[in-house]
This record gives sequence, C-alpha cells and structure tokens, in this order.
Amino acid sequence: MTAIFINGQSVETGDHTTVLQVALANGFHIPHFCWHPELSVVGNCRVCVVEHEGRGVGIACNMPISDGMRVLTDSEPVRAQRKAMLQFILLNHPVDCGICDKAGECSLQDYHYEYNGETAISGDAKLHSTKFFPLSERIILDNERCILCSRCVRFTREISKSNVLGLENRGDSMLVRPAEGRSLDDDPYSDNVIDICPVGALLSRSFLYQARVWYLEPTPSVCPGCARGCTVQFWHRKAEWRLSGLDERHNTRVHRVTALENPRVNGPWICNKGRDLPELLDRPRATQALQKGAPVSLMQAIETARGLLDQAGKRVALVSSWGSNEELRAFRNSLGDYFTSFVKPDHLPLEGEVVEDDLLIRADKNPNTRAAQDLFGTAAAEIPDDTELVLVWGEGVDFGTLPRGVKILFLGSWLLPENGHADVFIPISIQTERRGHYTNFEGVVSPFEACQPHRDGVIDAETLFPLLSAPGGSASGGGAA
Amino acid sequence: MKKVIDRRRKYWNEPTLGWWERFYLFEVLRGFSITGGVFLRNMKRWITGGKGALTAYYPEEIRADYAAHNRGKHVLTQRPDGRPQCIACNLCATVCPARVIEIEAGFDPDDPAHPKYPKRFEIDYSRCIFCGFCVEVCPEDAIRMVRQVPGLPVPDRDHGMWLGREELLTWQPARDPAKPYPPKEGPK
Ligand code: SF4
Ligand code: SF4
Ligand code: SF4
Ligand code: SF4
Ligand code: FES
Repeated sequence: MTAIFINGQSVETGDHTTVLQVALANGFHIPHFCWHPELSVVGNCRVCVVEHEGRGVGIACNMPISDGMRVLTDSEPVRAQRKAMLQFILLNHPVDCGICDKAGECSLQDYHYEYNGETAISGDAKLHSTKFFPLSERIILDNERCILCSRCVRFTREISKSNVLGLENRGDSMLVRPAEGRSLDDDPYSDNVIDICPVGALLSRSFLYQARVWYLEPTPSVCPGCARGCTVQFWHRKAEWRLSGLDERHNTRVHRVTALENPRVNGPWICNKGRDLPELLDRPRATQALQKGAPVSLMQAIETARGLLDQAGKRVALVSSWGSNEELRAFRNSLGDYFTSFVKPDHLPLEGEVVEDDLLIRADKNPNTRAAQDLFGTAAAEIPDDTELVLVWGEGVDFGTLPRGVKILFLGSWLLPENGHADVFIPISIQTERRGHYTNFEGVVSPFEACQPHRDGVIDAETLFPLLSAPGGSASGGGAA
Repeated sequence: MKKVIDRRRKYWNEPTLGWWERFYLFEVLRGFSITGGVFLRNMKRWITGGKGALTAYYPEEIRADYAAHNRGKHVLTQRPDGRPQCIACNLCATVCPARVIEIEAGFDPDDPAHPKYPKRFEIDYSRCIFCGFCVEVCPEDAIRMVRQVPGLPVPDRDHGMWLGREELLTWQPARDPAKPYPPKEGPK
C-alpha cells in the first residue's frame, strides 16, 4: 500500500496514479481546468500546480505518485504560480459573466475568487474573437470565453468517438473548430461538452438566457428515452424564486436536463435525447376524462370503467412500458386477475434517431420494459377477435389494429385524437408529477422524484388501479354493494 | 307609563348657539366664503403656474417637499441607439430584498456586443420597499430611481401595481451627466 504526504498529512493512494487523483479522493481541493476524470491527461491549463518538496513545483494532474513523496498544495510558490496562471488565462477572456449562462457554476469564476482575486495586471487591449460560432443546431461556441483546455475536443475523440472537434491555429489565435467535413450535429452525445466545458464557451441554444443558474435547482430523475435509464437531473425554478408577473410556465417548466453521475448506469454522460426531454414533457396534456368523446367527471369515468370491467367477458390489457415499478405492481395486484396482460412498447425509434450504439443508447425506447416483462411476460400482444374489452395504458397503440367493436378503456397523459375514440378515457399523471422507480435493461433500479405540480383532473395510475378493481362502486364513495 | 329614553349622545362640547347662529343663513354664507376663498386662491395659483397650491396634483405633480434624491420610481436608461442599457444580468432581481423584479431575457445575435437584453422587465410596487439596492448593484447604470413617484392609480383593480418595460423606458431627460441623452436614434 502506497502512502504519500499531502500538506504534511499521510494519505493512502488506493488505485490512483497521480497526485491530483489522490488529493481529490481525500478531500484536498486542487484547482483544475483541463483534467477530467473520464478523459486523458493533457496538462495544458497548468492551474493544478503543487509543490513536490525538494523537487519544485509541477502539475498535479500529471505528477505520478511515489511512495512517501511529500506534496504541498498551498505553499507560497504554488500560490504565486496559480495566480500568475489565472492572470494568463484571463488575458483575453472577456469576463462577461453578467450575461454568461455558466456564471454561478463556472470553474474560472470560482478559482478567480479563491486563488486570484486581483484585477488584470496586463495593460494590453484584449484580443477579440468569434462571439457566436454555430457549432451545431444545438450548440453555440463563444471563442472569446474559451480557455482552450481541450476537454470538448477530447470528449469527441475519446468518449463519443465522433472526432468532430479539433483545435486550429496556434497561440492567441487558437480556436476550437469542427474538423473538416464533420459536424457536431452528427454526434448524439454532443451536449455533454456543454457540461464539461469549465467555462461558458459552449452554450446550449435551448437553455440560452432562459434563467440564471442560481434561480434553478435539480431534481433527481431517470431519463425515459431508452432502456438504459440514465439518471438525470431536471433543473427547474426554485420555489423561493417563483415569478408572479411573468408567464407561469417559467415556474413549472424543466429548463434543462443534465446527467446525474451514476457509475452503475451512465457514468457522467447522457445522450442528446435526454437533453430534449423538456420538449417531450411540454406536449399538450390531457386533463379531462372522456366518455366516447364527451367530457365527464373523473369519478364518473372511473365508475363507467368499472361497469365495463364487470360486464365484459374476455379482457385484454396492453400494459405501459413507461409505468413505474410501483404502478406496474399496483396493476398486477389490483387488475392482474381481470386481464390477460401484454407489455407493449409505448415509443418506437423515431426516424433519424440513433437506434443503438455501444456507449449508452439502447434500441428499446422505453424506460421500464424490463420491470413490466418481469411481471407480465415477454410475449407480443395477441388480441383474440372475441375480446370484449381492451385496456390501453399509455401511448403507442393504433386503435385501428384492435378487433372491431371491442370496448376500449384508455389511460393516457397527452392530448391525442385517440382519447375521444375510446369508450372511456382517463387522464393519468406523467413522470415529473409523481415519484417512483424504473428498472433498466440490466436490472438496475433508479428512483425519480416529482418536480412539477400535479394537474387538476389527472389521477396517478397507482391510485387508479385499486379504484377500478374495488368491489361494488366504491369509486363513487357509495360503499353499498 | 313607558319611560322614553333619549338615546342621543351627549357631547362634551355640545354647541351653545346664540340667536345669530340659530338664524342659520348668515353662518352658512360665512362658511361658503371660507371654502370658496381657498378654492379661488388654489385655482388662481394653478392657472398661473401651479406652484404653492395647498393640494398637489397626484401623481402628475411632484410634492414640493420631496428631497432632490428621493427614491421614487425606477427608470431604465438607454444606449445612444435608444435600446435599453440593461443586459438582463438579473443582479438587481437577485439582490432585491423584496424579490419584486422579474426579467425575461432575449437573445439578439445581431449585436454581439450586447447579445442579451430584457424582453420583459417588471417591477411590483405593491412589494417594493424603495431601498435602492437594485440601482446600487447594477453593473451597467441601467436602472435608476428618479424623484417622481410611480403613477400607480389605475381605473381597474385587476391591473396590480406592476410597472413594465415600456413604461420604465419612457424616461427621456434633456441631458444626463453619465450618458449621451437624448438617444441619437430615438427611443426603441
Ligand atoms: S470550448 Fe470549453 S471545453 Fe472546449 S476547449 Fe474551450 S474551454 Fe475547453
Ligand atoms: S441513452 Fe437512453 S436513457 Fe440515456 S439519455 Fe439517452 S435516451 Fe435517455
Ligand atoms: S428599490 Fe429595493 S425593493 Fe424596490 S425593486 Fe429596487 S431592490 Fe427591490
Ligand atoms: S442589474 Fe442592471 S443590467 Fe442587470 S438586469 Fe438589473 S437593470 Fe439590467
Ligand atoms: S488540470 Fe493539470 S494542467 Fe490542467
């Protein structure tokens, strides 16, 4: 077991190979821009300097450990070099934090206040560069803010392997640019570079100027985009920063999605589909229960559904692969005996979408197929012609394919033309309005929390299923059998 | 016999009226002459320049006893091209102890020097405590407070007490020590 001394304190090195890794793992903070735990070491930013006693100052991210070495992270020469390095990095930086979306979570800002704190000592005019270079349909690059750490370049080479980004020119005029003939549009993981950029050089077009980050807070969730079930964070406005004069949507909307680091599922990455979840969640919602297209109260609809359930002979259920583990279990416990149940895919791959790759993206575009199939089997749906009632839970079923004359009980969340064609339509809540768990294709269970207000007129499927199976009209509150 | 109770209150300063007062007509005329005199004096002062009348015309008129640096209503300053100086950095909204400033930002790629601007800028005067922190924190001298008080009276009660971007941008001094006023290209 190797041990080294950091600031005089003896620490175990574990499996780590560099001083920076050992220091971070043991709670010593060393500033770093270019080093990233998942990327190769380039050592170009040089703010991670530490003093190796007796050997002078060097960069910690590329300093191999040797048994018994003594390292100082905050000695006088270290502080002086760090400060000089920060002055150097800010030489041409515009310092336009006031309008930078990264402000508040920017390493350069934090390090400046912690390790420099002085105004610029250079009297030279700053060089200007491209302010809004369109890297892709999703990302804008501000070359003035870029500190040339090359994290984004290494990401496209080492992680997403699209090899899109490169560095052009030398010195002052060095620029991050797409490689010839390549476009960041072709990288389904491109938005990760926005997160790993230590400064605000890479900007998301969809999040641009939507909110200062300190107005937002993250809620842990799970991406329903595919069977990988990446853990994500939904960023929405904090309650104490509620707006009352502007559009109410600012208060409830998911403003952006970032990865929630999880070594068992997705590491620190997610794909662009996960980033686009706000669009999926912002689709018009169904909040009105319907009976053959006519609006009825929720309780009335549940009552009618119970009637259908009691009268029908042969009953088939198409179970949603977007239901949470809790909802699926509630369905099995309350309604499992009533129905022959099949698991259906709610979503199929869209045109132009990456179907599957060897990093994260899975061909099954539903989050909880695994848990649903564990309960209801893997058989493909087969609906005999003499079926009298079909319960459709969730999207993805064309009513035209169901047997003619069959009664349809439809549980859905979105405003769709199908809603009116069902005999009974009951609006149910979506993932962001309730908590629950999904089981990904490898069997890893991840929790998600509610972060949007529950809509009026909408019921949780987990609450609904026991009401549908309750004997003798308890749904209407009557109680008499 | 039923006792009649006089329920009228007795006042400590119950007037004692002589016959002259009881005669009524002359006393009424004396009353009219006092109110009429004040009315005519105010009217004359108002017609001849509006100074010194006993009543101030709110909100058109500034009360004479407001200090020169009274923190009245907010204004947004303008660039020489007439656009708001504000960069929608939200520092004022963040520092505001009453949390009454709400800004919706827009993106203008055609002006790379000022790409972020306020699409909407709203202040709720029902909660503003007129502390002036917003003015102090602004890195752009984009928001100031002027001597006038906000014109809050409105004919309907649903309007609330919000002042919006349009109104905040109406401030047009003839000149200003810190900024080139009036804007060359007129307000936008
Ligand atoms: S754009 Fe960001 S991540 Fe890429 S080199 Fe510049 S600073 Fe680094
Ligand atoms: S890989 Fe799948 S689960 Fe992960 S972000 Fe993309 S769509 Fe969502
Ligand atoms: S004066 Fe004070 S309370 Fe009023 S808007 Fe400005 S910061 Fe807020
Ligand atoms: S602090 Fe000044 S520049 Fe920033 S949003 Fe407020 S008024 Fe605009
Ligand atoms: S983090 Fe070590 S040189 Fe950049």
